[in-house]
Amino acid sequence: MSVIKLSDIVKRYQSGEETVEALKGVDFHAERGEMVLVTGPSGSGKSTMLNIIGLLDTPTEGTVCLDGLDVTNFDVDELTEQRRSSLGFVFQDFHLLPMLTAVENVELPSMWDRSVDRRDRAMELLKIVGLGNRLTHTPAQLSGGQQQRVAIARALINEPDILLADEPTGNLDQETGRTILEEMTRLKQQENIAIIAVTHDEQMEAYADRIVTLVDGVIQS
Amino acid sequence: MAWRNLGRNRMRTGLAALGIIIGVVAIVSLGMAGVALQQQATSDLGSLTNEVSVSAGADSDEDGVTEDQVEEIESIITDAQVIPQKTNSTEIETRSGNAYVSVTGVTNASALYDVSSGTAPDRLETGALISNSTAQELGLEVGDPVAYEGQLYRIRGLIEADDGFGGGGRGELVIPVSGLRDQQYYDSVTIITGSGDTAEATADRLEERFNVDGRDEEEELQINTFAGAQESINSFLNTLQLALLGIGSISLVVASVAILNVMLMSTIERRGEIGVLRAVGIRRGEVLRMILTEAMFLGVVGGIVGAILSLAVGFVMFNLITGDAIAVLEWESSQYLLYGFVFAVVTSVLSGIYPAWKASNDRPVEALRG
Ligand SMILES: Nc1ncnc2c1ncn2[C@@H]1O[C@H](COP(=O)(O)OP(=O)(O)O)[C@@H](O)[C@H]1O
Ligand SMILES: [Mg+2]
Repeated sequence: MSVIKLSDIVKRYQSGEETVEALKGVDFHAERGEMVLVTGPSGSGKSTMLNIIGLLDTPTEGTVCLDGLDVTNFDVDELTEQRRSSLGFVFQDFHLLPMLTAVENVELPSMWDRSVDRRDRAMELLKIVGLGNRLTHTPAQLSGGQQQRVAIARALINEPDILLADEPTGNLDQETGRTILEEMTRLKQQENIAIIAVTHDEQMEAYADRIVTLVDGVIQS
Repeated sequence: MAWRNLGRNRMRTGLAALGIIIGVVAIVSLGMAGVALQQQATSDLGSLTNEVSVSAGADSDEDGVTEDQVEEIESIITDAQVIPQKTNSTEIETRSGNAYVSVTGVTNASALYDVSSGTAPDRLETGALISNSTAQELGLEVGDPVAYEGQLYRIRGLIEADDGFGGGGRGELVIPVSGLRDQQYYDSVTIITGSGDTAEATADRLEERFNVDGRDEEEELQINTFAGAQESINSFLNTLQLALLGIGSISLVVASVAILNVMLMSTIERRGEIGVLRAVGIRRGEVLRMILTEAMFLGVVGGIVGAILSLAVGFVMFNLITGDAIAVLEWESSQYLLYGFVFAVVTSVLSGIYPAWKASNDRPVEALRG
């Protein structure tokens, strides 16, 4: 069964008088252990689709199934629970909290949860992404590539089924971008997760299992 | 977490805390000032307001308070000192000059008079007390003799100048009651009670006993208290206290607005971060609690620092107004420390509610976009 499945998704934005149709009937799915790249020109609806997959936004029409569970009509708090348990996010500009150390940033998603202590797993994940000796550094003391690795470790702390990345290499140079992609490929197998990444980065295509191209809110096949 | 968020923008946190501290100090010290003034005013008046003075009434057959009436008063009033006095006036002559003084015959001199040197006996049976000023005028000292109606009295103490009202400019000579045995009746009876309120109650009991006879009212004894003065002073002080607290409340409102502003600014500034928290699965309630905790930390720290500063201000104020700095610790004034602290915490949390609610309900997609 697909870990995520979008069926006939339409997303419209209403801004004043104008209605923008960002997605015009999109079908999409991803499986565990594969990396799917989403490409397409700017404004074609890539971020919009990723936000719907990530349960950060809800579609105007269509259904969203997470591991067979129809979450289309979930309310805000139910969606939060699903994000917490099944999804990991990596953003273009990292979005680490500046006053927390690397290991605390990784623990962040479970920081309010007293029932589990993720400190060990957080340190383990930082070791996996090659930051075993930077545990107590704050984001300001880390390079861009290192910050993005911390973000990846954070995305994995709750053992998600899906890792979502919107332009993960967008703010990194070619070389650093490549190491991040290698890291993600390794983790995809190790953790058996689906990775869905939006990108403009040509070099990323070499790492993808499948490439989906969006043009004007429609998937090209 | 909350703690570190506050630590991040020290300047802003510091300013917010300062707002709270100023609010607390304003409320507490104004409240304490009211208490200090009240205490000082009461102690200035205290020697008069707790007294009841009794003299012959308009309908009395005698021109004084009789021995029987004194005994009757004593039998009713068991919880206060009853001090009958006879008064007259005379001219004292000494080698260095003459002085007119009022003469008081009293047994329990210590209850009525404070002496600056010598002693005021509980039972004055021999000897006399004389006003300081008169003694100085006439060059008299403790141990010197004074004559009244042919009888010599040795001075046993000098009466301190009375700083309440009454007394007048005239000097006073205090001798045993036996020295005025020509006068059959007492001119007045002073009853010294514990407070203004008991004086009032005592006066009522005496009125009831002596001046109300069935339906008729007859003034057998004239009974006076200074309660009226006490009352008008109390009501003035209450007004003053309200005015002080009013000023305090204004600073309170200003402080709340400052806290609200700081919390609002800090959540707006961190919108993206809060969006990240929500995106990675932090619940709305958890974000709410985090921001409220920050507000509460601010309130607690501001409240504690404010209370400490207010205590210092209180010490200085009590020292200046009443001369007794330690009195600030008594509950009557120290309760304002508690109020100030509670105010700081409560307003901080209240001011945090709106920003916290706003931040936790912000949609993460929008927050992340910027
Ligand atoms: N919140 C929004 N309100 C109005 N229009 C939006 C909003 N978000 C995206 N859009 C529009 O939807 C279209 C797709 O945007 P987006 O998904 O961000 O594209 P991409 O990520 O492929 O560049 C664009 O035309 C954009 O202007
Ligand atoms: Mg985009």
